[in-house]
Amino acid sequence: MSVAVSHAAPVAAPPPPEPEPAKTNYLNVSHTIWSWLFTVDHKRIGILYLVSITVFFIAGGIAAGVVRLNLLSPNGAIVTEDAYNRAFTAHGVMMLFFFLIPAVPAVLGNFFIPMMIGTKDLAFPKLNLASWYVFIIGAALAIWSVLAGGIDTGWTLYPPYSTRASQSNVIPGVVGVFISGFSSIMTGLNIMVTIHKMRAPGMTWSRLPLFVWSLYATSLIQLLATPVIAITLLLLTVERAWGVGIFDPALGGDPLLFQHLFWFYSHPAVYIMILPGMGVISEVLTCFSRKNIFGYHAVAWSSMGIAVVGFLLWAHHMFVAGISFYAALLFSLLSMLVAVPSAIKVFNWTATLYRGSITFQAPMLFALGFVVLFTIGGLTGLYLATLGTDIHLHDTYFVVAHFHFVMVGGMVMGYFAGLHYWWPKMTGRMYSDWWSRVAAAIIIVGFFLTFIPQFWIGYHGMPRRYPNYPDKFHVFNVMSTAGSSILGLGYLLPAFYLTLSLFYGKKATANPWSATGLEWQTPSPPTVHNFDSTPVVVCGPYEYAIGVDQMGRGLPEPPGPGGAEGPEGRVGITGPPGPMKKETEVVG
Amino acid sequence: MGEQPNTPGTTPATAQGTDDPYGVRKDLDDPFTLVIVWIAVLGLALVNVGLSFAIGPTKFTLPLQLMIGFVQAGLVAYYFMHLKQGDKVVILTALSSLFWMGILFVLFLSDYMTRHIIVGG
Amino acid sequence: MSASTHSSVLKHHFEDLGQQHACERLGIWMFLATEVLFFGGIFGAYTVYRLWYPHEFELASSHLNRTIATVNTVFLITSSLTMTLAIRAAKLGDRSSLIRNLLITAALGTAFMVMKGFEYSADLHERYVPGRMFQGEYEAALRAVFPTDGPALTKEQAEEYFKAHPDEHQKWAAELVLQNYGKSLNDPTYRDPGRVQLFLCFYYIMTGIHGLHIIIGIGCILWLVWEAWRGTIPPENYSTVEVVSLYWHLVDAIWLFLMPLLYLAGSGMHH
Repeated sequence: MSVAVSHAAPVAAPPPPEPEPAKTNYLNVSHTIWSWLFTVDHKRIGILYLVSITVFFIAGGIAAGVVRLNLLSPNGAIVTEDAYNRAFTAHGVMMLFFFLIPAVPAVLGNFFIPMMIGTKDLAFPKLNLASWYVFIIGAALAIWSVLAGGIDTGWTLYPPYSTRASQSNVIPGVVGVFISGFSSIMTGLNIMVTIHKMRAPGMTWSRLPLFVWSLYATSLIQLLATPVIAITLLLLTVERAWGVGIFDPALGGDPLLFQHLFWFYSHPAVYIMILPGMGVISEVLTCFSRKNIFGYHAVAWSSMGIAVVGFLLWAHHMFVAGISFYAALLFSLLSMLVAVPSAIKVFNWTATLYRGSITFQAPMLFALGFVVLFTIGGLTGLYLATLGTDIHLHDTYFVVAHFHFVMVGGMVMGYFAGLHYWWPKMTGRMYSDWWSRVAAAIIIVGFFLTFIPQFWIGYHGMPRRYPNYPDKFHVFNVMSTAGSSILGLGYLLPAFYLTLSLFYGKKATANPWSATGLEWQTPSPPTVHNFDSTPVVVCGPYEYAIGVDQMGRGLPEPPGPGGAEGPEGRVGITGPPGPMKKETEVVG
Repeated sequence: MGEQPNTPGTTPATAQGTDDPYGVRKDLDDPFTLVIVWIAVLGLALVNVGLSFAIGPTKFTLPLQLMIGFVQAGLVAYYFMHLKQGDKVVILTALSSLFWMGILFVLFLSDYMTRHIIVGG
Repeated sequence: MSASTHSSVLKHHFEDLGQQHACERLGIWMFLATEVLFFGGIFGAYTVYRLWYPHEFELASSHLNRTIATVNTVFLITSSLTMTLAIRAAKLGDRSSLIRNLLITAALGTAFMVMKGFEYSADLHERYVPGRMFQGEYEAALRAVFPTDGPALTKEQAEEYFKAHPDEHQKWAAELVLQNYGKSLNDPTYRDPGRVQLFLCFYYIMTGIHGLHIIIGIGCILWLVWEAWRGTIPPENYSTVEVVSLYWHLVDAIWLFLMPLLYLAGSGMHH
């Protein structure tokens, strides 16, 4: 089968006729509970993951609420010190292993990777379903360990505390994380094989949407890093269960070896958490500024760069733990390196926005929030990568604020941007434009109020994970807690208006944002096999300049500032509708 | 990276009516080669055991043993695991697993081999 | 389209069998990459301690059973050969040869595990297990040489004593006590019993995980036998056999490294 691939994109092609809303789509094809629990449809599995990780997001959020409320008073406001340890551990374990890591890859990646590359399903549909079950088994163990009294070691589980001293449920929690790791590997493997072998005709590597590139990079990390945490947790479990093991200093073992092995996974894992968000941002920024991406190859390869360089710098978590001075120098230098691909992304996004016809729907607000917050988070990371300043800042709230800017300000924003961007496609319904924008604004304001004070108190010496603090930090902790309640309110809003949209939302058209990707060429919600016939791709993923989608067909009218509410909201549009003219030539 | 998506891997030229309609036999192993490889891997294993009896634990023993191990694993991978028929992505996957293990080893040892050196000492 | 689209083996979401085979092969190779990193983690940890404590590792290794390990190596390498022959049989559509080769492979894998079981039980019998067993045995040997209620034996007396009472103390414990007789902890020829136990942790965990992989492999091979017997492995479905075989070969290849690292590290004087 050979397909003639034209490199001259067709100009001013007519938009395709709006496809008939399919009578049977993936949602209404069957309604029994079993049809969901035994589904091998990647879209349904994505929805299963969506529901599961939402539960964990709420549970982890409640744990965070306990932590913040307790810090309202310098001596602990609501819980005992032991319960405080368990609360922040529960927050870390649930948010990292059971929300952030599966969030975008397993929900949006599962759902949209096959659609974006033009295929019927992932390469291994049964493996995909198995990954969800494995995730649920691991999650159940972790939940059980929390409900049965919790873990008090912190999510990092450092021995010898976790192997010898801790009186909490370390083993069930660790086994839960161990098991859920396999689900992460399965998802990553599935996505990677699918991208390699299942692309539609004409979908070359340099025509892949950047979301696909970023998930490719993510899957690479999931495949190569997760097995190392698996063996590490196994060694930890053995040591705790049998009282003898290789991290035991009494035998001549080195507890730092655990930290090395742990961070060999857990540092790249933060790129598992951020890279998919970056992919979402590349999709959303181009669509809502009606611009081709600036520097496609730079953005694509910077994802791969982050994935590879991300493996080389784990020991900056151990600068003050007693590692070799020379190794610390090396790791400090390598840590600086990862700023380069990250900066490439931010610069290219900014250049993409330059002179675009920007409209501010909710996905765009979340995406812009991502760029700002991620930039702050990334730059403060450089303070921590520097050996000298890290000695001052290590294990303080400065670190806490830094990684929350990247993880929450970055990934959670990216996840919400993606969820809002693709919600019409996933459910076939539009959500409230006004409420979604309000939610985005509240989240961003609440976020700043929560975490900016933490930079200050961290810089002035408040260590992380302590339930008590001197009075001089009181007002900042109160600010932070106040901000976190605003943040919590902001996160609750989508739960309401997204749920309501399922019942009362306007029916979504096939391509409500006038986007270019293949996933918008299917009806909303998509049919069971995504495409009636295999699509043939003729051009790159972001041809907003000439206004064609990846199949070379024209785009429908893009939404105005109130576009999600309908064409009457178009008053005050910041640029002309339809294809861009002049600015196109500026960026090529 | 350059492979055409969705290009059938089996040769469509193998028409129906032959006894191999799906073209699965084009990479058929030669049993004689397999037996030779088996003898080689087995022989190297015995050499390895003999070696460690003969020279005992010296500082050359381990590198020698590991070299023999790598040759054995290479033979297994190339002939038994059909890397010789693998496409580029499969070979890349195999090599990248070794590369990432190399990262782990090199950066581990960057700490452990220099930890005892005191700054300015 | 070519004939390759009309097989019952082809799954609905693939364009043709070529794509399906390519996906399956790439998928299992990626899984093998995760396996390499899985074992890589513990190999890395082993390397660190081997570099730190080479002498204790040599001493500890020399008390493992090298004979059983060598026999097991022969089993595994041979099973890799028969596994590869099974793929050939599958491609040729030779069902009886396919089943025969798979059964031989499974039998060799089982023989490996049986030998392993004998080895573990011998180790247990020698109380060569880190933790309380090791400590107890070592301290018993120490107390025999340095009794609490009497004068300590000289080194020569201790050697005599251990020779005269071979059944009361394990060989390894006696060797360790004699080796350390009268030495300070800083003596370069002192052999720290804790570090010997570290080696044993590696021994049990590495061979244990490897054995678990073998058991899973045997299960997969027996499943293949069942499928082949049912007739669901026509030539175009050879890739199912290949997927299992790739896994099996990797487990074999890992053993080729476990063998020198664990069994061949020492002088090999005891077995």
